[in-house]
Amino acid sequence: MSSSAPAPAPEDQRSIAVRLRGIGKRFPGVIANDDVNIDVKRGTIHAIVGENGAGKSTLMKILYGVQPPDSGTIEINGEVVTLSSPADAIRAGVGMVFQHFMLADNFTVLENVVLGAEKLHGVGAAARAEIMRISDAYGLDVEPDRLVEELGVGARQRVEILKVLFRGARIIILDEPTAVLVPHEVDELFTNLRGLKEEGLSVIFISHKLDEVLSVAEEITVIRRGTTVKTVDPAGVTARQLAELMVGSELPSPSTETSTVTDEVLLSVQHLGLPSPEGRPLLNDISFDIHRGEILGIAGVEGNGQAELVEAIMGMRHGVTGSVRLSGTDLSHVSTRDRRESGIGYIPEDRQRHGLLLDSPLWENRILGHQGRPPSVKHGLIDKRGARTDTQRIIEQYDVRTPGPDVLARALSGGNQQKLIVGREMSGDPILLIASHPTRGVDVGAQAAIWDHIKDARRKGLAVLLISADLDELIGLSDRIEVILRGRLVGAFDPGDVTPEQLGSAMTGAGDPA
Amino acid sequence: MRRSTRLAALLTAGILSLAVTACGSDNNKASDPGASNAPSSNINVGMAYDVGGRGDQSFNDSAAAGLDQAVKEFGMKPSESEATDGEAETAREERLRTFADNGFDPIIAVGFAYADAVKKVSAEYPELHFAIIDDASLADVPNVASLVFAEEQGSFLVGAAAALKTKTDHVGFIGGVETPLIQKFQAGYAAGVAAVNPDIKVDVTYLTQVPDFSGFGDPAKGKTAAQGMYDAGADIVYHAAGGSGGGVFEAAKEAGGLAIGVDSDQYETADPSVKDVIMTSMLKNVNVAVYKYLAEVNGGTFPAGVTTYDLKVDGVGYSTSGGKIDDIVPDLDAFKQQIIDGTIVVPTTP
Amino acid sequence: MSPRATKFLLGIAAPVLALVTAFAITSLVLIAAGDPAGEVWGQILSVPETRKLTNIINNATVLYLSGLAVAIGFRMNLFNIGVDGQYRVGAFVAAVVAGEAWLPGYLNTLLAVAAAILCGAAWAGIAGLLRATRGVSEVISTIMLNFIATSLVAFFLRKAAVRVEGSNSLGTKVIPEGSRIPSFSIGSGPGTEVYGFLFVAIFAGFAFWFVLNKTRFGFDLRATGQSTTAAVANGISVKKMTILAMLISGGVAGLVGLPILFGSAYSYGSTFQSGLGFAGIAIALLGRNNPIGIAIGALLFSFLNEQSNALQILVGVSPDIVAITQGVIVLTVVISYEIVRRYGVRLEQQHVAQALASEAPPPPGGPSSAEPEEVRA
Repeated sequence: MSSSAPAPAPEDQRSIAVRLRGIGKRFPGVIANDDVNIDVKRGTIHAIVGENGAGKSTLMKILYGVQPPDSGTIEINGEVVTLSSPADAIRAGVGMVFQHFMLADNFTVLENVVLGAEKLHGVGAAARAEIMRISDAYGLDVEPDRLVEELGVGARQRVEILKVLFRGARIIILDEPTAVLVPHEVDELFTNLRGLKEEGLSVIFISHKLDEVLSVAEEITVIRRGTTVKTVDPAGVTARQLAELMVGSELPSPSTETSTVTDEVLLSVQHLGLPSPEGRPLLNDISFDIHRGEILGIAGVEGNGQAELVEAIMGMRHGVTGSVRLSGTDLSHVSTRDRRESGIGYIPEDRQRHGLLLDSPLWENRILGHQGRPPSVKHGLIDKRGARTDTQRIIEQYDVRTPGPDVLARALSGGNQQKLIVGREMSGDPILLIASHPTRGVDVGAQAAIWDHIKDARRKGLAVLLISADLDELIGLSDRIEVILRGRLVGAFDPGDVTPEQLGSAMTGAGDPA
Repeated sequence: MRRSTRLAALLTAGILSLAVTACGSDNNKASDPGASNAPSSNINVGMAYDVGGRGDQSFNDSAAAGLDQAVKEFGMKPSESEATDGEAETAREERLRTFADNGFDPIIAVGFAYADAVKKVSAEYPELHFAIIDDASLADVPNVASLVFAEEQGSFLVGAAAALKTKTDHVGFIGGVETPLIQKFQAGYAAGVAAVNPDIKVDVTYLTQVPDFSGFGDPAKGKTAAQGMYDAGADIVYHAAGGSGGGVFEAAKEAGGLAIGVDSDQYETADPSVKDVIMTSMLKNVNVAVYKYLAEVNGGTFPAGVTTYDLKVDGVGYSTSGGKIDDIVPDLDAFKQQIIDGTIVVPTTP
Repeated sequence: MSPRATKFLLGIAAPVLALVTAFAITSLVLIAAGDPAGEVWGQILSVPETRKLTNIINNATVLYLSGLAVAIGFRMNLFNIGVDGQYRVGAFVAAVVAGEAWLPGYLNTLLAVAAAILCGAAWAGIAGLLRATRGVSEVISTIMLNFIATSLVAFFLRKAAVRVEGSNSLGTKVIPEGSRIPSFSIGSGPGTEVYGFLFVAIFAGFAFWFVLNKTRFGFDLRATGQSTTAAVANGISVKKMTILAMLISGGVAGLVGLPILFGSAYSYGSTFQSGLGFAGIAIALLGRNNPIGIAIGALLFSFLNEQSNALQILVGVSPDIVAITQGVIVLTVVISYEIVRRYGVRLEQQHVAQALASEAPPPPGGPSSAEPEEVRA
């Protein structure tokens, strides 16, 4: 924490695009923001980092006019403004690109851009000309007549940015823009952002991927527990120091200790295939073994078959060919429930859709996926008492921050939801743990805890299949890394001597698999 | 539960629209004998209508007309209540009991749906008097008068009229709901057509099946069914479908065909724009039956047992308004006489 | 206030809010139409006499079963709009079976009840099967099946009907006395006989609660209703659950007409009460798919129906006014439940945040956290 940059000196009023002073926002019983002070200089990329729940999104909602602040002032280009709706914010030149895109799939790019802003340039030639002008000026490379549904994630994001620029924004807020992108798309996005900056626009970049923040931002403001902790210069700070500022304490790293890999094969996947109705198979002749005490990491650009691989092993897909054997038992033709009950713990990729019943209490979520086993059932009936007691155990052992097992899953933060899932899946004595993006979207504190639990599982002799888009996580935790590309395993790496860059090129098929 | 919110909205809209349309009919309460020189009587008449109630321009209205006439002439004090669609049996019973408990005697139940309720309640209140229209199953109950009609006889005559008037040798019959009662209309009509010319084709359609009684109140269904018949070559269609008949008339007008009304003289009661397609109507004089019953009550005797209103007593018949069948009246009257004499026995089931 | 008390108050708040709103809106309609609102409410809210109370309980029994049948689907996020057709098929088959009296006495009753359950289940099962195998929306298919059920029953009713001399009704053979389900009297005089089937309904409500909350099957059903994706990922076969839920919903729907059949009508005919399935949808919504809530909803609807029956005779206002009240109750109940639910979620999130804020700051990570390696930049 030694390398904090000097607090920004009083600047010329005109060079400050956004000045927030003493912003406070409280909801009954909760202080979301308290005395937030940020200066965003014109023509810069300013990152705002913080754990989930630190108050970033409330702050951005205030700046985008979705919620009014209880106290404090917002100045834009030197003028104090009151933003009572997003329309006000757009008039003041503030635009926002949300994490979840808001585009109509069956509309063209042009139609999506002009939708709701027809008054500005009409819907015809003038609008098209304006879109092309913006696209060329900032290198967004947008084709106005393509259907949005044909576009990839990166291109959709550029359409979102273009939408904001089209409406005349000079200050652009990007909420976790890289969460959905693969490495080379991230690079392209950063190139675009630098282009915007050079044209004198200001970019506010919200993220918790610290390495990205460090590579793209000119200034970084750290938010913790609703208040601004510090604004630092990326040149003088490491990711680790930044992370420690975020959580206010020392941090763990994902790396594993000495190898615990044994000779005993627990999971054996042979010639797994999943044909697709339209052309290229989703999975193509995938074979691998995972041994007791081994973590196998699967690296790949999203959409190359990781989700299908997990679902094929879990028995959630129809038409899978090949075999899955767990500890010698053939599971190829049994139901998902039987697979789970023969010892697979499963941390799904999308915890809210696949891992939890959001509107049920935590103790019922403890039962989910374990309906057939104690402590969820007794004498063939659901055992509420047993499930509650065991939930309490998970809450304590896995540090789930909740008042008790009776709150609804929805009320927990993402990290705590994930810790509950990890705790649940580690109960019931699994011999294989499938962890799909286990730390995606969780805050740094929970991330560290989840890493620990995965390492712990390995120490206990589980076989672990780890799928992640976070290459540091993969390299740090895995005993072996396989790269998946277009449904095939295309190369194995030793995490001991591989760099994220090497993995990245193997993932895109560009490089020479080591 | 977000999905259920949408559903509830839909459901409520449905219930409300139903209720609003239903509410329309309770504006016209029983006509009060406001005239100062009106006769007065201390007889309280309870009138329990079937679904649709007063204002249905059909069966219930006909009963109401008889009541109105009696009220006007004898100064009786009436009260009315109508059934709701799909109600419980207990609702019908309670309706009768409410009348009974509040000093109404006699109590008239309009429609065969009341048969079980009248049977039960008449036993509970042996000192009170009941009448039921279109049902003869309570013939032996001493305090119940059953008022029934020979619908098949009237239908026979309009069937004969249709057969005499058709140019395509093709006629149609549209029943509201397929019940034994409406089948009597069909049977008589078909027999009447066959009596004139057995080669004439008779198309038969029912709009709905029990327990869906909407066939008596859905002009759109009536219109569609009639259009089909006219398109297929029929030129005269007889409907026994209550309120759905309006649609039959519209279809007749659009197709350039003719139609036969039912229950009352629909040439007089139907929408003026379609009256010229109404060749005749089969009269089922419920009003006569109600009036005659009340007249006897006014005279001090409560009738009991079955009274059949047939051609002989002009309980059923046909109308001549509009003059479209004036030329065949002699033929029809000949049939009528044969039926009265018993030379022709009209079937009651198709 | 303790969370439990808060929860209870929130639970009460929604229906009370809904009732008050519904009464207010109905009064406005009455006043706008120039009808005597005071007299109308005086009649509707009067204390029912024993005979009417009997009717209220009897009709509520029927509505309750219908509400339960709908609620089973709702708990799995399936909209069984077809309870109407299912109960009609069930009641008709039961009437025919019981009327034929192939077995003596109560064996005959049991056989008829079983037949009703099976036929209701089979009828609903068609929709379940279509949904599970072909992805056909159960809303559409059950509505279509209602139409088919109506025609089918009408067709067979004409075949099976026994004509009573002089009657214009159509009805199946009357159930022999020995196979009827005895009623019990709650007062003196005629019309105070409560259906014995009431106990079957109460048992069905208990079974509903028990199966949903205490069994693995019920858990799977609720889990699937909340999130099919989570269900699949956790080893629940959604297809199987869809078919089973529809079968059970239809089976209960098969019972709906039976209290009437075995308690008062003794045959299925053209005047057999209709529209019960749709009333069940409203009641399930009103009762929040909870067996006690559905009972209250059924009693409320039955109470309003019964008390409004005499309105036209005594006050001169059409009883259809209560259809407005009922419609508004359903709408406002759903809205106020949603408002209260959102408020409750907010409250809980605050509660969680508060509880955590008052805790000590989080301890630093796990055992290996001391390892001094930098995260790559």
